[in-house]
Amino acid sequence: MKHSMRIGLAGAMLFSAAGTIVAPRAASAQWSRTYEQFYLPGKFNFTFRREYAAADRLFNAFDYGHAILYERLYNNPGAPVSELETDEYDFITKKLLVSPPKLPLEEAAIEINYAKLAPEAKMMFDWAHLLHRQIYDVLASEQMSQADKDAKVAELVAYYKTRRDLAFSSLPKNMDLMESQPYSLAFRQRYPKFNGLIWGYHWLQVGLYEPLMVGRNQEQRQAGVLAAVSRFRQMLDNAPEHMPRVMPMTAAIAPTFAARYQEASIIFDNLHSMHDVVSDILTNNTVVSRSQKRAAILAAASRYRDNTSFLMPLDEWKSMGTMMGIENMGGPAVGFLAGFPTPTLARGASMAEAMKGMAGMQHGAAGAAPMAGMQHGAANSTGMAGMQHGARGMGDSAKAGAAHQMPGMAGMTAMPGMTHGAMGAASDSMSAMHMSSMMQMHERMMRDPVIRERVMADTAMRRMMQGMMDPSMPGMQHDMPGMQHDMTPAAARPSTTRARTTTSRKAASAKTPARSSTARKSPAKTTPAKKAAPAKKAPAKPAPAKPAPMDHSKMPGMNMPGMKP
Amino acid sequence: MQFIYRFSAVCAPRIASRRILALALFVSVAGTVRLDAQTDYYNTDRGRPIQIEDAYVAERYGVELKLAPLRLERARGGVYNWGLEPEIAYGILPRTQIEVGLPLAYREVGTERQSGIAGLELSVMHNLNAETEGWPALGIRADLLAPVGNLAPSRAYPSITGIATRTYAWGRVHLNGKYTAGSSLTGTSASSAGAEELSRWLVGGAVDRTFPLRSTLITAELYGRKPLITGEDVEYNTGAGIRHQFTPTLALDAGLGRRLNGDAPGWYVTFGSSFAFGVSSLFPTGR
Repeated sequence: MKHSMRIGLAGAMLFSAAGTIVAPRAASAQWSRTYEQFYLPGKFNFTFRREYAAADRLFNAFDYGHAILYERLYNNPGAPVSELETDEYDFITKKLLVSPPKLPLEEAAIEINYAKLAPEAKMMFDWAHLLHRQIYDVLASEQMSQADKDAKVAELVAYYKTRRDLAFSSLPKNMDLMESQPYSLAFRQRYPKFNGLIWGYHWLQVGLYEPLMVGRNQEQRQAGVLAAVSRFRQMLDNAPEHMPRVMPMTAAIAPTFAARYQEASIIFDNLHSMHDVVSDILTNNTVVSRSQKRAAILAAASRYRDNTSFLMPLDEWKSMGTMMGIENMGGPAVGFLAGFPTPTLARGASMAEAMKGMAGMQHGAAGAAPMAGMQHGAANSTGMAGMQHGARGMGDSAKAGAAHQMPGMAGMTAMPGMTHGAMGAASDSMSAMHMSSMMQMHERMMRDPVIRERVMADTAMRRMMQGMMDPSMPGMQHDMPGMQHDMTPAAARPSTTRARTTTSRKAASAKTPARSSTARKSPAKTTPAKKAAPAKKAPAKPAPAKPAPMDHSKMPGMNMPGMKP
Repeated sequence: MQFIYRFSAVCAPRIASRRILALALFVSVAGTVRLDAQTDYYNTDRGRPIQIEDAYVAERYGVELKLAPLRLERARGGVYNWGLEPEIAYGILPRTQIEVGLPLAYREVGTERQSGIAGLELSVMHNLNAETEGWPALGIRADLLAPVGNLAPSRAYPSITGIATRTYAWGRVHLNGKYTAGSSLTGTSASSAGAEELSRWLVGGAVDRTFPLRSTLITAELYGRKPLITGEDVEYNTGAGIRHQFTPTLALDAGLGRRLNGDAPGWYVTFGSSFAFGVSSLFPTGR
């Protein structure tokens, strides 16, 4: 009798449970047959984990950040912004990133409902993340020659592409796919800090390839990776101030890697771009209702996989990162200075807007030729790196008076003589004398060895300086001691050796730095983050390399907030 | 499948079980040396550590080696039963794995000691779908216990299992239902080690909760089964266990449980380890 009761009870429980979990909800029933696939075997696997443990563990924490973001956005659409921006952000940055998990995380156990919403998209991310990690392993290998690494990366990419249902296209997708959809930009505008964190993740994820590529030996690679990790941690201070303001692009952050492994780089850009798209879809509940989110995600995923839609020319992809300004993407991953380069974009701006804004800068006669490869679909996305004119809409001539922000010029305000609207013609109020004053100020600044070193280390700023001294620009020929010498091709060489400066130099001095608990737990202490302040004062010269003459009459204001006259 | 072997005598059962446990540990640790593998703790397998499993299979092209799934049972009266079944699974097709298990038995019946192979277990498992908001993950498994070895049943026994997995914020729920075809066992045919664990049917459920930042999962189950042996009553069992990803190449599990009814309701413990790796020649290069 007792046993019969037990049987009955157990049977009832099982029947009830079966009914609960098996019965599909007709309204949202979706059948998915996506599946997992094993990674390509090889001795190189887990090399990065062994040799660069501190960085590898961060990636485990990144997994959590991505997963919890999607889960929170989907589960709690009406939740206060502080849930992500404060609570979750603080947990991630103050606990998880301080002591990251030792092992890769099972994201399905974190993003429970998101994983059920779009398992296909989740699997796409997983598959691309696997490629990410395996390429780290290859590049971290000290046993493989460069030729071996090239062959293995090619093999990994080829294997990755065998999963056509999961693989991101290895052709670059243009900005419209990410930023011109009805739901676009919602996430970055509602959650600027968490968005900055995600872009910080992406900065490091692509940025770590660069020290692995340019390091000449294991010690340099170790130092470079540690420096990049430290730089990432610097970004977390005073968030989102130093976080990227647009999606970091591989060609800009890891140019050596991108040049050598183009397909992989494009895949990663598309991956990171789709991360943003999914965030936007989940955030934007006005345009995309809950019942439409799966369809929207799958539609975007399909576009990111195909090789036909929303494409941009390769040349454009290669140059876009530079054109957008690496300073807006978190800065370089190697050879960086103590301070962060000053962004030229307002937080929350879209890449398309930034590019469009540059169209307002008429270099020379009206209709200066758009820069090659900068056409983005129907967008008027012409522009020049570093020449972003402050707020959006600078391309609109009606807003010609908007602030003209230049890299390195943030913090300067209402500086007499800097009104570009007065610069162009002799009759303008901006006299040559004023320009001369400006150049004198530049000269004085450039005599400061610290400032000069920083400017010289920044390729974009160096180019601008060269442009400033272009003989074709009247009134711009000034004596800048040492500048000509420093701007020789040798000095302009990519920053392989410059990685030894500041943070890198300190990192290199540590034995087995990647495993240093000090470095892991309080890397900021190993980097002179506090010394970054002077860099903010370092001026940048917003003149592109050999531009056509600038029509400054269209720039009535050169607003430099913070710099007192 | 987990096999439980019954001792009719109680002499030296502890010594034997300790040797088995030591062997299992040795094999587990030794096996970690050269294998590349992947996180596996979230994908629960039958008997690892509980009988009820999830609906997912080994990754395509992945090989999963289960070197030391050990189960030790102590029945009322101090009678010990144990089993050891190394298995290897391969993701041969999308959402499909094939698996081969070789149950090993060591028996002491009175003064007589028996050891050997208790059958050859072949199985194919197919995951029908990935879990979505509308559907749980569903899987189906076909098994065949072949009469291979001196302690195997006298004939082959096929069985089929249906599996469902549903994930909630608080954890996952798994349901398993299994049916075995073939004639019932009577008399001497029921005395073989493999035959004793065959069930005409088995129905059960399990819940698990994952701690992703610790790469750990805890689980508990309740299931009932009707032994294939004529005249045996339905048995009810409950169990709990833990799975932990020890390194990227090693997942360990341990569990304990209790039989709730029957003539000898005792307890059992399990221990296991698994490794996943790939064989390059089995992979498409895509080039």
